[in-house]
Amino acid sequence: MRFPRPPPSERAFSIGIPAMIWQVLFFYIPLLFIIVSSVVKVSETGAIKGFTFTMVAHFFTPTYLKVIFSSILLALSNVVICFCIAYPLAYFMAFTGKRFKNTLLFLLLIPFWTNFLLHVYAWFYVLENQGFLNNMLIHLGLIKQPLVLLNSIFSIMIMMVYYYLPFMVLPIYSSLERFNANLIEASLDLGATWFQTFRRIILPLTMRGVRAGFFLVYIPSFGEFAIPELMGGDKQMFVGNVVSQYILAEGTGSLGAAFTVVSCAILLATAIFFYWLMDRYVYVKVR
Amino acid sequence: MLKFGKVGNLIFISLTYLFLWVPILVLFVFSFNTEGYPSPWSGFTWRWYEELIDSIYLWKAFGNSLIVALCSTLISCLMGVFLIFYAAQGGKEGARIGKYLGLFYGNMVIPETVLAVSLLGFFSLLSIPLGLATLVVAHTVLGLGFVVPIVYARFLELDYRLTEASLVLGATPTQTFFKVTLPLLMPSLITSALLVFIISFDDFILTYFCAGSSVQTLSLYILSMIRSGVSPVVNALSAVLLFISSLLVMIFFHLKTRSRIF
Repeated sequence: MRFPRPPPSERAFSIGIPAMIWQVLFFYIPLLFIIVSSVVKVSETGAIKGFTFTMVAHFFTPTYLKVIFSSILLALSNVVICFCIAYPLAYFMAFTGKRFKNTLLFLLLIPFWTNFLLHVYAWFYVLENQGFLNNMLIHLGLIKQPLVLLNSIFSIMIMMVYYYLPFMVLPIYSSLERFNANLIEASLDLGATWFQTFRRIILPLTMRGVRAGFFLVYIPSFGEFAIPELMGGDKQMFVGNVVSQYILAEGTGSLGAAFTVVSCAILLATAIFFYWLMDRYVYVKVR
Repeated sequence: MLKFGKVGNLIFISLTYLFLWVPILVLFVFSFNTEGYPSPWSGFTWRWYEELIDSIYLWKAFGNSLIVALCSTLISCLMGVFLIFYAAQGGKEGARIGKYLGLFYGNMVIPETVLAVSLLGFFSLLSIPLGLATLVVAHTVLGLGFVVPIVYARFLELDYRLTEASLVLGATPTQTFFKVTLPLLMPSLITSALLVFIISFDDFILTYFCAGSSVQTLSLYILSMIRSGVSPVVNALSAVLLFISSLLVMIFFHLKTRSRIF
């Protein structure tokens, strides 16, 4: 038996609307604004003079495409490394080491919930010439001279993985937690190898978490500018660095906007492509 | 079940957690060092903690971060709850707002840097002076992207029979919302509030662009300290912040409702 629902009141509408107004006003309109300002020619007095694609075209040159490409590479390698660490860890927390899952999650969340600049600073201590890692390696007799670890792609990568790892672990863990472990047993009993079970049963059924992790890591690490700047010693240029330099410098605002739009469009295109790739190759068609 | 066996597991897990915790422990130990970065261990002292307590600018930045985080958490949670209230009027499926909810997932597809840059351009176009208010606005946008999806996902999981029972027994929709629906949503609401608070408090990218030159938050203060030859006061500060975040994580664990996004 179904009861008629009360008609939604107009008051309810007016109460629900502020969130949407806020979201549109401070999220979508600014995005629209930056897209528009990347193709609009503005005179010195601030009047709009017409449309131009020269600014956008300016960034389709090898120098800038290389910056965008290296950002994609950075973000992608970050995703892959995070995935390779996160999946076994999440698997351990969800099944094998279920007893310790609260402790492990607790220890994972504490660094995650402290200011990330402090992590950057902490890694300075570990990676510098006289730092913890070099001292340890010399002590163990593995190396004679301290290695130069800071201000390199290595230190950028370490910091990226360190910061983004929980973003990958948590969604994968939550999808594994809801995963029915009997399926694994059934698959193994029916003669599948461990790898087949993983490839055909576990991975496809936890794809929701993997996909969420992919977006949570790939998108922000593409735009990252603080980590490359602080850990890379300004040697490597990524999209975030170029954008922040253009935007914060005097008079190059619209160039910065144009570069933001160009790189963001390329980012979304690659994200959709990888998304499609995951969908295409993870699900195994049953014949 | 896993092929690597017990030893392999143990090695893998301990290496991962060493990776996560060694930097923090090193930082913590060196907060008691008499000499600053980058000199080796030379003796025990409480000096940096005393300096931490005495540094006025740092506490001012800390206060600013706290104000921004509290305001944006409050605003985004209030607006989020109101939005869900509106959804609750539409019946089980929240039919009337379901299609608009996609609006709030945009935050996940656009990098924070891009949002920050756009907001900066937007504010300067309208010639709104940058400061605490613009920071609160920006962080609220960030917060809505967490509150709405998390609370709405929980809302969809609720047993609609409870709401229906309440309506049939004569409660008005408003009463039903505040006495039945909202209490059931409370755990997920608190979880997302905690998340928004932490994210706003630790946020760097939005703050870096939208704070302007007059306001300093904790993140910006730490950045300036890292750039201008660091003093171990930062170590002492990180020990304090670690303590605070462990407390918050403990609260999070007591709620025992992990959000659906994570």
